[in-house]
Amino acid sequence: MVEEVRKCLQDLLMKVNGLYCILITDRDGVPLLKVGSEKAPEHAMRPNFISTFGLAIDQGSKLGLGKTSTLICSYSQFQVIQMNKLPLIVTFITSDSCNTGHVLALEKQLNPIISELTLAVAEL
Amino acid sequence: MEKNLDRVMEELLNKPGVYGCVFADHQGLCLGVKGKASTDSAGVIGAIAEQAAKLEPKSKMPIIHLENDNKACIIHRTGTVTGAVFKNVHG
Repeated sequence: MVEEVRKCLQDLLMKVNGLYCILITDRDGVPLLKVGSEKAPEHAMRPNFISTFGLAIDQGSKLGLGKTSTLICSYSQFQVIQMNKLPLIVTFITSDSCNTGHVLALEKQLNPIISELTLAVAEL
Repeated sequence: MEKNLDRVMEELLNKPGVYGCVFADHQGLCLGVKGKASTDSAGVIGAIAEQAAKLEPKSKMPIIHLENDNKACIIHRTGTVTGAVFKNVHG
């Protein structure tokens, strides 16, 4: 199953210009699956960075706008787009000029993969 | 703030056959949508315009026309804004 999912993510990676890396991690930022090119910055893939998403969505929910579903961080050289699929977190690392909307549109294609992985994680 | 865009979209929808339109910025994020169109398509529309422009880099931004038996989608980028118009075509 993992190989199939990996191939699927690799296909998605090819489809979006400037998308460097797709990471599926648990809520602590521990990677379950990682697909990416060498261009992806190593320090943005560390668990201590990715796990801050959990803190951010807790703060976000205080805005009274409902559950935080997506977080986009735009830096001078990269963008980090994270999706709330708790107990999993999906992280996309892209170039600064990457089409953010295109990455967000990948969510629908990722949903079946995520639900399958969530089941696998729940079984553990 | 988006009054002008709203007016343009309203005018577009009043044109014969047009049933939806969507506008995206340079990041593929939705600026506005009206009629039977989805905000989710904003990113894909931006990407299509970007890829099509690579075919003829020295030319002006192309107009992309996607069509099936009864519907058409016309995409064009001006500056940083990409627009898509969905319309019915009667063969």
